[in-house]
Amino acid sequence: MTAIPYAEALDRYRANAGGFPLRPDDATIAELIAAYHPDSTGGKAIPLKIGVNAGMLCQPQVAALLQTNALIEDVDIAGAEILNTDILVIGGGGAGAAAALTAAGEGARVILATKLLLGDSNTVMAEGGIQAAVGDDDSPQRHFEDTFKAGHRAADKELVAQLALDGPDVIRWLIKLGMSFDVVGHRPFGGTLKRKTPGGATAPRILSYRDFTGLEMMRVLREAVGLHRGIQVMDRSPAVELLSDERGGCAGAVVYSLEHHRFVLVRARRTILATGGSGRLHLNGFPTSNHYGATADGLVLAYRMGAKLREMDSFQYHPTGIAHPAHLAGGLVSEAARSEGAKLVNGLGERFIDELKPRDVVASAILREIQEGRGVSRDGQTGVFLDVPGLVAAKPGILETTLISLAHLAKKCRIDPTAEPLLVTPTLHYQNGGVAIDTHGQSSVPGLFCVGEISGGIHGRNRMMGNALLDIISFGRRAGAHAAEARAEAYSSRAGIGHIHDWQRQLTLADLPLDARGPHVFPDYGNFDLVADAGIGPRAAE
Amino acid sequence: MSDDNVSLVIDGRAVSAPPTASIIQAFSLSGGALVSNVGCMGQGVCGSCRCMVRRDGSRDVTMELGCETPVEAGMQVAFVSYFQPKRPHVYDLEALTDSWQILDAMDETFPQAKSCRHCGGCDRACPRGLDVQKGVEYAVLGDVQAAREVFTECIMCNLCTLACPERIRPNHLGLFIRRALAALTLRPQELMRRLRQIENGTLTVDTSTVDDTRS
Amino acid sequence: MTGIKQVLLDPAIQIGADLTTWLSLGGGDGLKAAIASPAGALDTVRDSGLRGMGGAGFPTSRKWEMLIASEAHDKAIVCNGNEDEPGTFKDRHLLEHTPHQVIEGGLIAAVATGTNQLFFYINPHHTKGLAAMRRAVEQWLVHDLLQAAQAAIGKSIKLAVVESSGLYIGGEETAVISTIEGGFPFPRRKPPFPAQSGVFGAPTVINNVETLANLPHILAHGAAWHRANGIGDAVGTKLYSLSGDVLRPGLYELPMGSSLHDLVFVHGMGMLSGKEFKAVFTGGPSNTLLTKKDLDVALDFDSVRARNSRLGTGAMIVISEGTSIVRKISEYMDFFANGSCGQCPPCKSGTYQLSRILNRIDAGDGSDGDLAALENLCSILPGCGRCALIDGAVTVVESSLSTFRNEYVSSIRRRD
Repeated sequence: MTAIPYAEALDRYRANAGGFPLRPDDATIAELIAAYHPDSTGGKAIPLKIGVNAGMLCQPQVAALLQTNALIEDVDIAGAEILNTDILVIGGGGAGAAAALTAAGEGARVILATKLLLGDSNTVMAEGGIQAAVGDDDSPQRHFEDTFKAGHRAADKELVAQLALDGPDVIRWLIKLGMSFDVVGHRPFGGTLKRKTPGGATAPRILSYRDFTGLEMMRVLREAVGLHRGIQVMDRSPAVELLSDERGGCAGAVVYSLEHHRFVLVRARRTILATGGSGRLHLNGFPTSNHYGATADGLVLAYRMGAKLREMDSFQYHPTGIAHPAHLAGGLVSEAARSEGAKLVNGLGERFIDELKPRDVVASAILREIQEGRGVSRDGQTGVFLDVPGLVAAKPGILETTLISLAHLAKKCRIDPTAEPLLVTPTLHYQNGGVAIDTHGQSSVPGLFCVGEISGGIHGRNRMMGNALLDIISFGRRAGAHAAEARAEAYSSRAGIGHIHDWQRQLTLADLPLDARGPHVFPDYGNFDLVADAGIGPRAAE
Repeated sequence: MSDDNVSLVIDGRAVSAPPTASIIQAFSLSGGALVSNVGCMGQGVCGSCRCMVRRDGSRDVTMELGCETPVEAGMQVAFVSYFQPKRPHVYDLEALTDSWQILDAMDETFPQAKSCRHCGGCDRACPRGLDVQKGVEYAVLGDVQAAREVFTECIMCNLCTLACPERIRPNHLGLFIRRALAALTLRPQELMRRLRQIENGTLTVDTSTVDDTRS
Repeated sequence: MTGIKQVLLDPAIQIGADLTTWLSLGGGDGLKAAIASPAGALDTVRDSGLRGMGGAGFPTSRKWEMLIASEAHDKAIVCNGNEDEPGTFKDRHLLEHTPHQVIEGGLIAAVATGTNQLFFYINPHHTKGLAAMRRAVEQWLVHDLLQAAQAAIGKSIKLAVVESSGLYIGGEETAVISTIEGGFPFPRRKPPFPAQSGVFGAPTVINNVETLANLPHILAHGAAWHRANGIGDAVGTKLYSLSGDVLRPGLYELPMGSSLHDLVFVHGMGMLSGKEFKAVFTGGPSNTLLTKKDLDVALDFDSVRARNSRLGTGAMIVISEGTSIVRKISEYMDFFANGSCGQCPPCKSGTYQLSRILNRIDAGDGSDGDLAALENLCSILPGCGRCALIDGAVTVVESSLSTFRNEYVSSIRRRD
């Protein structure tokens, strides 16, 4: 693949600075995506061989992971400590925290188990903001339609409508918890929220706090969870298998204590999976903007137990990940930059796409430039320019007041953002599909809820900026409230991992290997082997 | 590439990595098991990779974030676990409904703040370089807006809470003020209007306006 | 106490705050000798070989000379009675049972150095010692001997009892000064050294309680008498705080230079029945462990130093084969982690992290990586603090790791 050397590209960029021509484009959006989006050009989606969605198309790496054998056997959890709770929430990000707070607020006893620490999540990394149709020029109806269309009409309309209608109340709930939002001027009371326009929207709808909205949200949620007497947090405790009851419903989970190297059985009346997405699987060899914990653990466990999935062949590649320097590759440049007006420029010094189109469109357009030799190459890394200097010239002071994280990032890239453009390229950002849910976050498995990035159906085949922070709170709260209603119910009589026997039968009949095990719990470069760490292998049967 | 590699020690592990690598990346490259003290991997917002760093030839040990600090030859690094005080502070933000009571509520929850000794331990502990001690001082003086500003970019790594000899828990104090101010004073007018429209049923979503034909 | 010469612990002088009785038993003679010749007092102390008993073992006369050399009007001597480290309980005994011995020692130091401020810095947790010292000072304030001392140096002498913070760091010299000035016991950077600028800027010497308590006897009986009380090159007697797995723990006054073996097996009457001697944590416990091969060591500053350890305060915590080194170290590290003040974050974070890892290993949940992490911390941390707390904490971990590595390894959970 050829590309234009950095020095030459920089000359052309400087020559055109301030007035980059937009190259005319004949390709339709559908053609652009079909020809350049990694979902189409990467590893070809394959049908799942086993499980409730057998026959459904799935990204091949994800399919391989979904069709793995369990990490543990019955004997491994014999004698393990057993904890009982009303609600088990698995995952310490925004969705898990919202679910836990809501369930505990209803009077349920909650255990929140998380792989790393409470708050270590994609939520804390979210920069751009959260959508909520609050403007007089906007409406939940518009929010619904924009979201549905941006997702290529593949989403579940009821979920999208719910999301859009929940928006304003979610913002109020967050404010009540003590989250700040940017306001225009200095009038908190009776003032006006600052709004930005996300790619693909018909009205400004992004509410934010500076360009670290997720950090502001997560530190408030983390403190609220930590202070709540009804919530017991188990950190360093990844879920390694779900517990099933005699009817195939979910009865809790087996978690592994990384601190004490032993398994703990958590029995629960309801289980809420909020384990996030799968960016750290580095699908199709892409770098990722995701948190270290995003290894699709919950997705694997839910599917193994029989939860229906959807759109598992659809992933979001955020248009602007860092391309250079290599050690920061994949790190995110928030859409806030384009939302504020930053342009994308190829190696010829021309614009090639409306920067505020939906993310899959912009990402495909960037990949087209790179594949057709109009990208910019620097030290072996290829991308296109993001014209931050132009933005700064148009909006002086923006790096100090609004795009604080961007300024911080430029410093790490060792460039002067007022003089030199950033080199960007798409980065694996979001799992569009996931576990199918209803408006309460209930999956097709009784007793099992899924909220946040693990769930599917809200964003269709492409997510808009700002809808992830909204979805985690909207559906997190809904699942928490609904699950809490079960707090007076009796526990199921059995809670074990019997369902993995059926799963192993399916694996065997489908000629799938039994020695491939999942979930991975950590990325490959985490150099962690749970079987060795727990001292449960090798198994004689293998 | 490997000729340019630098050698350093991370948690007792001899590591060789390219000089552009962060501490976290270098540890992972060396084959070290990365199962804690890791999170956002480079954005510097989760605070999990807090570590102590001693550079070659220096007596000083500094507090830094492993995902943002590039490796250097001869560097020695030790990760620091999240610090959980034995008796954490307790407050119920929902019970704080009268904004006149903010300062009293702060005093009640963080009574130690008044005893700040100005030793600067919190400032030295902060890997983000925030003026933590100043923030505590503003809070004690009742300048809540200034205190709020100081902690704007706090990532809650808890190193100042670990350091403080008076057990002030500066980052939690800062967060308390931030939360209280938002919860008690942020009332955007268009949000209030919109909530009323939704709650009295005048604004709904009609899902039949869009067709399901995929584009 | 069979035939061992008792000086500081002489049962006859364990009389509490009773100045009249103290003077009737020969107390006051030392002070009178100093008043008669302040310069001679310095010579006597120099010739006696008296060294600081608080842990450092620095020659007392050398400290004084720095004070004498100063031409400042206001000078200060602080009697350091903060005593807070695990296993040390000598100063509190002296303060409670022979306060006049300590105060007279302080006055001798004041007269010898021309010092007009004398602070008795006492750990408030030693409630009895604190009360006895307050009563005793009241008695001195109205006694003619104090007038005589003031006349000798030509200045009025201020006597004050000051409560320390009771925190471990409060015993560090600069922290002592900070507390007396009304501040928090934060150690300061040196220089300036206290002898240059101490309490409110006045040149200051800090002497341990036991050090001062020796002075009345040295001045009354002479340097040669004092030297003869020790064994070999060591001088005087020493208070040893003996604790741990011995049959008879307690406070012992023995000739300086008595062997560890004698302390443990003769005076302590040996190990608890059926237990094997394993090791001793010396004065801190922030020093290198002494083990079986060190039983012959003479317990004086130089001999213990020759074994790469330190006599410290004279505390000897004896442990037997049945006691887990890892658990002990883990307990002590909790103490250091609590005691670290935090103004130097690496010391606070370092002791916290050491304590966390040690607790994990002790609980059987450690890994090989934890051992490497411990050693890494021992390599990074020394010298990162303003005071020596972190250095002591590291020394004891390092020493146990090198001497009892097998115990760490077997505490680590076996995974195969």
